[in-house]
Amino acid sequence: MGMFFYCKMVRIPVDILYFAGGWRPMLSIILRYPDPKIFLPIKGIIDTGSPTTLIGLSDMMRMRLSKIQIKKILGSHGEVNIGGGKVETIKVEGMGLKIGNFLETDLDVQFPLSGENPKQPSLLGVDFLEKIKANFYFNPSKKESYLEIED
Amino acid sequence: MEQAQLLQRFERDSSWFYKNIDKLRKQGYTEQFVAIKNAKPIAADKDIDIVIRKLDKEGENPSFVFIEFVHPDGYVLLL
Repeated sequence: MGMFFYCKMVRIPVDILYFAGGWRPMLSIILRYPDPKIFLPIKGIIDTGSPTTLIGLSDMMRMRLSKIQIKKILGSHGEVNIGGGKVETIKVEGMGLKIGNFLETDLDVQFPLSGENPKQPSLLGVDFLEKIKANFYFNPSKKESYLEIED
Repeated sequence: MEQAQLLQRFERDSSWFYKNIDKLRKQGYTEQFVAIKNAKPIAADKDIDIVIRKLDKEGENPSFVFIEFVHPDGYVLLL
């Protein structure tokens, strides 16, 4: 006789908003870091075409941290390519992420150091979805999108 | 204002921005970064540094204010 285990799934609503030529799935999250102290709400685009989560330069500038302060944060330096341009980044390890009252987690998040266009929005990449073990549903014609996670 | 209220306001203002982007274009904000507070633009400039400085001067914490760039109508951004 088989045993069945039920996992209660929770749906986190994702906004579908028109931005720069198309409908985008967007999620509000809060970034947290102890030192230097960061508490920053952002609206990120869920981008399954991006393997990594990258904070946009304009969101980074809202924190009013200088590039020198960012460089002081321990993390590995790297490079990502966006739209054919190279962006020098620093990967901040263990950045706290809070999604409303649904969940809190931490993730290694890339911040731009140079070469990025300030118009580039923040991207929540596949690493984010993998970390929170989420199914991602996006139906632009019905304007319906959500993340589904285990309770 | 408590953090929870600030966050609610950020959420409301961000949604307002995307839903009213045509209105912002008509008001002359195309190709500018616009800071939104309580469903109104409170600072704008082509240079985001200047927008942040304007917010500082007004006693606003930029971390809690939604700022986004108003792309021209028809502009397509590939990610």
